Amino acid sequence: MSPAGSGAGATGAGTTGAAEIMLAFDRATVDLDALQRSAYAVAAEMTVDIRVTGADYVCTLFPRRQDTAGDELKHRFRAEVNDQILRVRIAKETEPLRNLVFALAFSQTGLVDVEAEGSA
Amino acid sequence: MKLERAATALPRHGWQLLPLRFHRIDAESVVLTNLVGEHVFVTPDELAAVVDGTCTDQELLARLRAAHLIQVPGETLPAELLAIKLRTRMRRLPDSTGLHIFVVTLRCEHTCRYCQVSRQSAAKNEFDMTEQTARRALELAFRSPSPHLKIEFQGGEPLLNFPLVRWITAEANRMNEEHGKELAFVIATNLALLDEEILGFCAEEQIHISTSLDGPQDLHNGNRRRPGRDSWQQAVAGIRRVQERLGKDRVSALMTTTEASLGRAAEIIDTYAELGLRGVFLRPISPYGFALRGRGGANYDVDRWLEFYAAGLDQIVELNRQGVPMVEMYASIIAKKMLTNADPGYVDLTSPAGIGIGALVYNYDGDIYASDEGRMLAEMGDRTFKLGNVHDSSYADIMLSDALLNPLTESITLSAPMCATCAFEPYCGADPVFHYATMGDFTGHKALSAFCRRNMGVFTLLLRKMRDDRYFRDLLWRWAQ
Repeated sequence: MSPAGSGAGATGAGTTGAAEIMLAFDRATVDLDALQRSAYAVAAEMTVDIRVTGADYVCTLFPRRQDTAGDELKHRFRAEVNDQILRVRIAKETEPLRNLVFALAFSQTGLVDVEAEGSA
Repeated sequence: MKLERAATALPRHGWQLLPLRFHRIDAESVVLTNLVGEHVFVTPDELAAVVDGTCTDQELLARLRAAHLIQVPGETLPAELLAIKLRTRMRRLPDSTGLHIFVVTLRCEHTCRYCQVSRQSAAKNEFDMTEQTARRALELAFRSPSPHLKIEFQGGEPLLNFPLVRWITAEANRMNEEHGKELAFVIATNLALLDEEILGFCAEEQIHISTSLDGPQDLHNGNRRRPGRDSWQQAVAGIRRVQERLGKDRVSALMTTTEASLGRAAEIIDTYAELGLRGVFLRPISPYGFALRGRGGANYDVDRWLEFYAAGLDQIVELNRQGVPMVEMYASIIAKKMLTNADPGYVDLTSPAGIGIGALVYNYDGDIYASDEGRMLAEMGDRTFKLGNVHDSSYADIMLSDALLNPLTESITLSAPMCATCAFEPYCGADPVFHYATMGDFTGHKALSAFCRRNMGVFTLLLRKMRDDRYFRDLLWRWAQ
């Protein structure tokens, strides 16, 4: 699997019903965190229900606009999940360096030496 | 050259990612930003190859390394440089508060359709600030650690209480003999009451004039109503008088976009150019107070405003191409954040938010607000952003109040959902007042936020134009300086 590529480990197995659009993601390859971030990010277009079913996370997509095509919605959500997986991976890999940069930046501000001033 | 390139070539998996975020500009282009907003455009495939460690494009790897997006394992310099840049961007934080807004009266002789505060009759002086209140507000303002203090007179129409403007200026100068701060004064006025006495005073005190100009006569007078229906004529005459007496750079104008402005961006810009004004701030209407009521002019969505903004920006670029220097102020603020390590200090685009630590507002009655928008909410009955009153609050009471600290801490973009992983976070801001006013909490749901959608739209537009148009890229660099 190439998390940076287009696959992202999603099985993409989906069904489109009259009232609900479902997508399944393999729990072995997709983090719940990435799915939850994706659901948050697409909230203007759809709301998403995430449930555990066997080895999958099953996401049910509820479009905010009734005229949105089911396939379009599934592509949109899959693309968002791929990006969120990549973001999670980059954040995890770079977290120690990020903390180092912030520590270096704020260790030399002198802010810790400033005592609270009295009232005016 | 070949030898040099061979010596610095990075093998597969021979680099380490530095903290980076990405945003897809379109199907062919992704922008990568580092912790301080330096950016590089790549293709989606290049992004995948860089993250997977399989990229073999040495020129791209060199660019990413130069922009502190990747490093060779074991290097320490990139982290140190990023830390210096980060510290530079945040160097203003300990120096709060620079802007102090004095609402010297609520009275106004205009009845603008989008006015965010209540309009009081020009005769009712119970809505004027007193000298006692102003003195106490000045004492608090001078407690600010900032070495630069800007005192801005607002209203209503502040020139309706000109004696107090004069008194505060003199008193501030007197108090500053002890404090030695860099002191500046701004009067935000519609210019209708400008006369020789006021002009002379502004010349003597080197006061900057900030006025409102919505564009051509019919548009401006439709938005900004006053007896005689001559607001535009008064504003234009006033701008010319200030330019002649005080100098071209001592007057600036702001416009507010109503639905009547949409489709007229080029005319608005041309009006500014004809008056010799060198900057236009293409502002959406604020979602506060009377602007939201029926005929307030706010009946358009973010996408329509973005179309308007893009058209205005195109006209400004065209004028520059023709040799007429003109700056779009919002783009120039963002350009500073995108292309330099300077912090332009624009209250809406900072994190931590600019409320309180960037600006304090002293209302006519002594109430203190964390921002002008916070005052506008109070005029509608919601005092969430009231920090105290000059007559019974100390400086510590104000700056350590829950009314200030709660919105500041809850809205920091480095920890807010979506903002924390957004490639544009270094360019953007928190704006807890906007999110509270529109969504009921200080952080807001960014996927549903008009603030987020508008700024994402502007950032993407500027980046796309920089990528595609060399002239625009050079122009933006000049605006950033």
